[in-house]
Amino acid sequence: MGGLWRPVLRTLRTAAVCGWRWSHPGSPTWVAERVQPYLRVGRNGTGSDETGLRWIGTWRRPNPARDLALRPPRRPKSTNPFTRAQEEDWRRRNKTVLTYVAAAAVGMLGASYAAVPLYRLYCQTTGLGGSAVAGHVSDQIENMVPVKDRIIKVTFNADVHASLQWNFRPQQTEIYVVPGETALAFYKAKNPTDKPVIGISTYNVVPFEAGQYFNKIQCFCFEEQRLNPQEEVDMPVFFYIDPEFAEDPRMVNVDLITLSYTFFEAKEGQKLPLPGYN
Amino acid sequence: RLTARNILIKHHAPIIMGRFPLDHFGECKSFKEKFMKCLCDNKFENALCRNEPKDYLECRMDRQLTEQEPLEKLRLEDLIDGKPKAKTKF
Repeated sequence: MGGLWRPVLRTLRTAAVCGWRWSHPGSPTWVAERVQPYLRVGRNGTGSDETGLRWIGTWRRPNPARDLALRPPRRPKSTNPFTRAQEEDWRRRNKTVLTYVAAAAVGMLGASYAAVPLYRLYCQTTGLGGSAVAGHVSDQIENMVPVKDRIIKVTFNADVHASLQWNFRPQQTEIYVVPGETALAFYKAKNPTDKPVIGISTYNVVPFEAGQYFNKIQCFCFEEQRLNPQEEVDMPVFFYIDPEFAEDPRMVNVDLITLSYTFFEAKEGQKLPLPGYN
Repeated sequence: RLTARNILIKHHAPIIMGRFPLDHFGECKSFKEKFMKCLCDNKFENALCRNEPKDYLECRMDRQLTEQEPLEKLRLEDLIDGKPKAKTKF
């Protein structure tokens, strides 16, 4: 098996050293290459792996056995059926290998693109959406100790999308909390139109990095909320700021956190994935 | 187009007890009003108004608007005997 590679490797090595100038149609040695099968071995019998230019001038009839023994380094086209078959075989093997390598490369590229939605799916099903805490009220809330010397002002913001005609506003402008202390806040929404309207909300926390410490125990987000004509309803948010907030060096200068809710008009049956909760 | 569906929620901690069903009939509205009044009176300091959230949540749990959870789990247990037990942490 390895013997079949030797001429190929030899060819490549020669090409690396000498360049391809002796193989392409424009080169001066191309004609010599083409007639090489018809040349016989020199008097001293050596030179089976030389380029054979010194053999010009001696002609002989094609002899398959001798050609096999000679093992010429490389011929782009050979009229000898045995060597041609061998060359074809090599070419086919090379092509197969190249095909496999190319397929593997394309497969890797595809896998790297597919990894993003697959990972998101995995996080949603296992509930590990970027945080180790998953599922119901866990011990971490029960055992957390408020950091009483770090007072944070939480302000509330309410927005509606232009197409939604609700009156949506927070019921308190701000609240002063400390990390580790659970807090309750209210928004109010009213549907002033004479038709039932369905809205769905998302929220945002500013500064962005503080969002990971802003834990909600319950809120009214990501689910369609239906308001009948002229109906007004209180919307509570039960949250706390993680005590680890006080230990994060990046949060040293953060004294103000803003919770911002935005309501959009929703179609019937629309449901957004709730982070970490199904 | 900016729609709720197009907004990706990143960098948000999981919502632990899920969504609040809305109190469409205003059954717990009185507790909410008490809470808001307490906040207004105390310059919006959450630490001074810990009783009212407890009452409000109890009202919701009674009316099946919130899952039943022991109040200890929600860090409201320090209010059961009326005295906050929280310590300062350095």
